Amino acid sequence: MLYEVRHETRFEYQWPVSISHQLLKLRPRRCVRQNVLESKLILHPQPAVQREWIDYYGNAVEFMTVQGAHSELVVTNLSRVEVLPGMNIMLDLSPSWEVVAKTMRNPTHTEALTACQYCFESPFVKLHPEIRDFALASFVPGRPLLAAVMALTSTIFEEFKYQGGVTDVYTPVLEVLKLRKGVCQDFAHFQIACLRALGLPARYVSGYLLTHPAPGQPKLTGADESHAWLSVWCPELGWIDFDPTNNLIPNLEHVTVAWGRDYGDVSPVSGFIFGGGRHEVAVAVDVTPVVAGFNP
Amino acid sequence: MSEAQRVPEGIVDLLAGYQALPGHYDELMGADGQPRPAWRNLLHDFARMGREQRRGAGYTAEGLLREHDVAYIAADGDSKRPWHLDVFPLLLEPDDWQQLCSGLVQRSRLLNAIVADVYGPQQLLKSGALPAPAIFANPDFIPNCNGYKARDGEFVQFLAFDLGRAEDGSWWVLSQRTESPAGIGYALENRIVTSRSIPDQFNAHNLHRLAGFFRSFADHFAHIGDQHLSVVLTGGPDQEDYFEHALIGRYLGYPVVESADLTVRDSRVFLKTLEGLERVDLIVRRIASEHCDPLELRATPGLGIAGLLQAARSGNVVVANAIGSGVVESPALQAFLPALAETLLGEPLQLPGIATWWCGDHAAREHVLNHADQLSLRHAFGRRRLLSAGAHEFSLSDPDLADKAALEAAMAMRPQDFVGIERMNLSTVPCLMPEGYLRPVPMVMRVYVAATDKGYRVMPGGLVKVSGQDLGTGVHVSKDVWVLSHEEIERETLIKPLRAATLKRSDRDLPSKTADDLFWLGRYFERSDGSVRMLRSLFLHLAGEASFGNVPVALNILTGLMVSLGRVSPRSARRAVAAGYRGVEHEIWSILFDPESADSLSKVLGNVARTADQVRERLSSDTWRIIERLTSVPKLRWRVNSVGDAVNVLNDLIDAQSAVNGLIHENMTRGYGWRLLDIGRRLERARFSIRIMRELLVRTDRDDPGVLGMQLELADSLITYRSRYKAEPQIPAVLDLILADDTNPRSLIFQLTEIKAHMTVMPLEELDGHLSQAQRLLIGMHTEVVLADVDKLASVTSRNGKRTHLNRLLNRTEEGLEMLTDLITQTYFSHSIGHRITGNVLRSKPEDAL
Repeated sequence: MLYEVRHETRFEYQWPVSISHQLLKLRPRRCVRQNVLESKLILHPQPAVQREWIDYYGNAVEFMTVQGAHSELVVTNLSRVEVLPGMNIMLDLSPSWEVVAKTMRNPTHTEALTACQYCFESPFVKLHPEIRDFALASFVPGRPLLAAVMALTSTIFEEFKYQGGVTDVYTPVLEVLKLRKGVCQDFAHFQIACLRALGLPARYVSGYLLTHPAPGQPKLTGADESHAWLSVWCPELGWIDFDPTNNLIPNLEHVTVAWGRDYGDVSPVSGFIFGGGRHEVAVAVDVTPVVAGFNP
Repeated sequence: MSEAQRVPEGIVDLLAGYQALPGHYDELMGADGQPRPAWRNLLHDFARMGREQRRGAGYTAEGLLREHDVAYIAADGDSKRPWHLDVFPLLLEPDDWQQLCSGLVQRSRLLNAIVADVYGPQQLLKSGALPAPAIFANPDFIPNCNGYKARDGEFVQFLAFDLGRAEDGSWWVLSQRTESPAGIGYALENRIVTSRSIPDQFNAHNLHRLAGFFRSFADHFAHIGDQHLSVVLTGGPDQEDYFEHALIGRYLGYPVVESADLTVRDSRVFLKTLEGLERVDLIVRRIASEHCDPLELRATPGLGIAGLLQAARSGNVVVANAIGSGVVESPALQAFLPALAETLLGEPLQLPGIATWWCGDHAAREHVLNHADQLSLRHAFGRRRLLSAGAHEFSLSDPDLADKAALEAAMAMRPQDFVGIERMNLSTVPCLMPEGYLRPVPMVMRVYVAATDKGYRVMPGGLVKVSGQDLGTGVHVSKDVWVLSHEEIERETLIKPLRAATLKRSDRDLPSKTADDLFWLGRYFERSDGSVRMLRSLFLHLAGEASFGNVPVALNILTGLMVSLGRVSPRSARRAVAAGYRGVEHEIWSILFDPESADSLSKVLGNVARTADQVRERLSSDTWRIIERLTSVPKLRWRVNSVGDAVNVLNDLIDAQSAVNGLIHENMTRGYGWRLLDIGRRLERARFSIRIMRELLVRTDRDDPGVLGMQLELADSLITYRSRYKAEPQIPAVLDLILADDTNPRSLIFQLTEIKAHMTVMPLEELDGHLSQAQRLLIGMHTEVVLADVDKLASVTSRNGKRTHLNRLLNRTEEGLEMLTDLITQTYFSHSIGHRITGNVLRSKPEDAL
C-alpha cells in the first residue's frame, strides 16, 4: 500500500520569538512493515542551524534553531511510504508470557537486549500494582504471550471509552485506569504499563492512520491526525504492533513514524522558544493512498 | 609503674570513660587499649588545653561557621540549618591513606570506563558482564546522551565516595557519587575553621594540605576550557548545597551562573552578559542531569538550557561531569564491580565495596527476602541524599520498604529497583562532647577524587560525618580529616583563590541576571531605608519626641504617605489613626514584623535578604555579615513591646544600613555591577523623595513649620537645614535644599546627576557617537530640575491651593524615572525565560474523522 503523508505544524505567536529550538521526529522510519520512498522537510522560516541524526531508538531526528525574530513557524514533512502486508500471526503459537518475562531478566543476544530497554518504568509510564492486577486478568499463567496481549488489547478497547479533552499529554497511566477514558496516547501508555508491570517489553509507536470519509463524503484536507499505538517484542517473531484504540493488529493502514519508551521519546514536534507571548498551534495531517483504484 | 600512671592527668580527664565499642574498630584506641601512636601528640595537645579551652575552641569554630554562614538546606524542607563541626579531627596514618588512595583512583577509572561504555558501545551489556536491567531500569540512565564523545574519554571529572572501616581495620566503599558530588566545599570550610580554632595543634602536625589538590584540578579544568569562558552552573540559592557552588566558583575563578544566564546559539553555549553574548566552553555542572536541557530532557520549568545536549554532542562545550554520569551511582552496581574491574581494566578491584544484593538477580532477591531483617533495604535507583548524615542513617532501610507486604508486592513487579545492603559495624572516631571529654562514635568518611592532567587524584583529607542519633545529641556533626605524612609538608594556604585570573579590570562579563539582581538589591536597600525612616518618624511623633516638633496632622500625613508608597495597607493605617497612640502601639508588631502581611518591614527586609543571597559571591564577607544582621532584625520581635522599643530597633536598622552603604561605597570595585546597584538605589531615592514632596509640599493647606520639619527629617536633611538657616523652615529654602541643591546627597538633583554619570559609562549606551535614549531622557530630566526656579515653584498656586508648577515638575520627573527603569531593564536584563511548545494533536478512532 503506497501513501503520501503530509504533516504540517504551524505555530503562530502573539509577539515575535527571538530564538526557537525545535526537535523534530517527523520522518517515517524504515522498518519491517514499511519502506520509506521519500521524506522531505520544509521549514519556514529557514533555520540558522539544522542538524540531523539518528537517536538512541533509531528514529531520525532533526534539530533546528531559528535565530531571527519571527512570529510564525511552519514545519511541514512530506513523505511517500510503502506499507507492506504483515505476516499472518498465529497468536497462540507464541511462547508463554512468563518465558518472555524471564528472558528479559538477563538478556544475552542483541535483539533481546534491545527489547530489554522497553521493560521498565519511563517518565510517562509508571508502574503500579493496580495496573498489574488489571493486566493479570488477561495474563493467566502459561498463556501464549501474543494471545494474552491481544486479549488485553480487546479488554482496553471494550472497557475504556474514547473521549478527547478529559486527559492531556501528562495524564498519569494510573489516572487513565481510574477514568477509563482517554485518547490513543493514553490507551497506548496504559497498555504499555500493563505489560511492563509483568516484566514484558513494550514500546510506544507514533504514526498515522488512514481515515475513511463517511460514505458519499469527499475526504477533507488536513482532517487526519497523528496516531499512537504500541509494539510488543516476542522471541522469534520480533516486534508485533497492537492498537488498543481500534482493537486490532496494525496492518496496511498504519504508517509508522517513530518509536521509543513513551510519548516523551517520540513527540513529533517539540520546541523551546524565547519570547512569543501566547501561541496558537495548528496541526494538519493528510494520509492519501496513491494506488489508483484503492478502495477500502 | 602501671600503664595508667604514665598517662598525664589531662589525658585521663579527656579519655575518662572512653570505651571502644565491642565489634567496632576504634580510630583512636589500638587493640591493646592504648591510644595509637599517631594520635598521642594530638591527645597531649588537647589534654594540655583543659576543659575550658577545649570548649572555647568549639565556640570559636561555631562562631566562624556562623560568620561564614555555612549552612545546608535540609532535604525535608527549605529551612537552612547550621553546619556543625567538631574541632577534634580524624587522623589517618600515611600508609593507611596511601593504600586507600590507590584503591580510590582505580575505582574512579573503573566508574568512568563504565559510563563511557554505557553511553557508547554497551559492550558490558551485550556480554552480560553488567545485567542490562541494572542500567535500563535506572532513571539516571539518559538514553539521549548516547553517543556523546567525551574529550579524552573523560566523562567523570569529579567523584565522591563514602567509606567505612570494618572491624579488622579494612576500608570499604559504602557508596559512590558521580552525578554532581556534594560536600567538598564543606570539607574545605571544615579545614579552614578547624585550623583557625586550634591553630597550635594544626601547625604542630605534619599533615597534607588541600591546596595542591585544588590547584591540580583547577589546572586540568583550565586546560579543558582553554579557549573561552568556564562557568559553574548552579540551580540557585534554593539548592541544598548552593553554599559550595559559590565557593567552588571563587576557587576556580569562574562565574557562578544559573540556567537563565546561558543560551545556545549555533549549537554553542553563551553567557548573556551586560555587553552581549560570551562563548562558554566548560560548564562545571551542579544541577541534576535531567534538568540540564528542557528541549531534550524533563527539566523542571526554569531550569536547564535549551539545546545544551545538542551543543555537548557537537563537541562545542564540555560539561563536567558529563550529563548522565549519575548512572553509576546506583548501589545495584556494587556487586558487579570486581568482575568489571577485570574486564575493563584487567586488574583486580583493590578496594572492596560493601556487600550488596541486587534484587534484579533471582538468587540475590531470594537472599534479600530471606534476610530482610538483617539487611538495609534500599531503592536501587534515584533516591539519593546529597550528604547522608552518618553511620546510623547509613544502616537504615528506606522508610517505605519497612513494610514487608509492600516490599514483596513491589518486588514482584520490579525487583530490579531494590537492593539489600549488609549492615556493617563502622569504625568509631573520638568525638569531643560538650562536657569536654571524648567519646567513640561510629562514623562515615566522605572523600573526593578529581581528574587532573596526571589522571585521577584523591583530595588528601575528607569529611567525617557523625550522626546525631549515634552521638545521642540529635545534632549531626562533621569533622576535618588530617592525613599525616612521613615527608615534611610544605605549608600552603587555601585562603586565596588558586588561579589568579588573567588581569582584568572591568566586569564586562557580568552575567545579565546578576546585573539585574544587583540593580534590585540597590532598590530594595533604598526601599527598606525609606520604610525605616518613615516608621521612625511616625513612632517618634507618637512618643512626642519628634525633632520636628508637635504637628497635629503628622499622623495623617505619615500614614497617608506610607499607604501611597504601598508600605502599609489602608486598613492598618485607618485603624492606627482612629485609635491614636494606643492603636498604633497595637499595630506596631504587625507593621514591623508580621511575615504574613505584604507590607511589613520584614517583607521589605526579606526582599533584601533574598536578593543579596543571589549575588552573595559579589559582596565582601563584611558586607554580607552586616546584611545578615540587618535582615535578621525581624527575628528580634520579642524585644519590641512598646513604641520606645520600636524606635530602638529602627535605630539599629538605620545603623546597619549605613554600615552596608559605607562598605559598598568603600569596598566594591567601580564596575558595572556597582554602578547598577547605585543606579537602583538612586532611582528609588528619587522616587521616594518625589512622593514625599508631593504629599507634604504640594498642598498649601499643609504649610506649617512642623510639616516642613518632617519633610526635612524624612529626607535626612534637617541638620543641614538648621546649620544653614538657623531658623524655622521656609518653603523656598526647603525646596532648594531637597530639590535643587546639588551638594546635598539627599536632594533630587543629586540623584539625577549621579545616575546620569553612571549612564555615560555603561556599555550599550554609545551608538556611533549618538546619545542613547536613556541618556537623552536623563539630560532632559536633569536640565528641567536644574533650571527650575525655586521661588516660582513655591509661589505659583492654583485656586484650590495646589503648587501647580511644583506638582507638574514632580509628576514629569516621576514619569521619566519610570521610563528610565524600563529602558535599563530592556537594555541590560533581557534574559527572558523561555518555554516549551509542542505540536502534539493526537487522533483517534476512525469514526472521529467523520
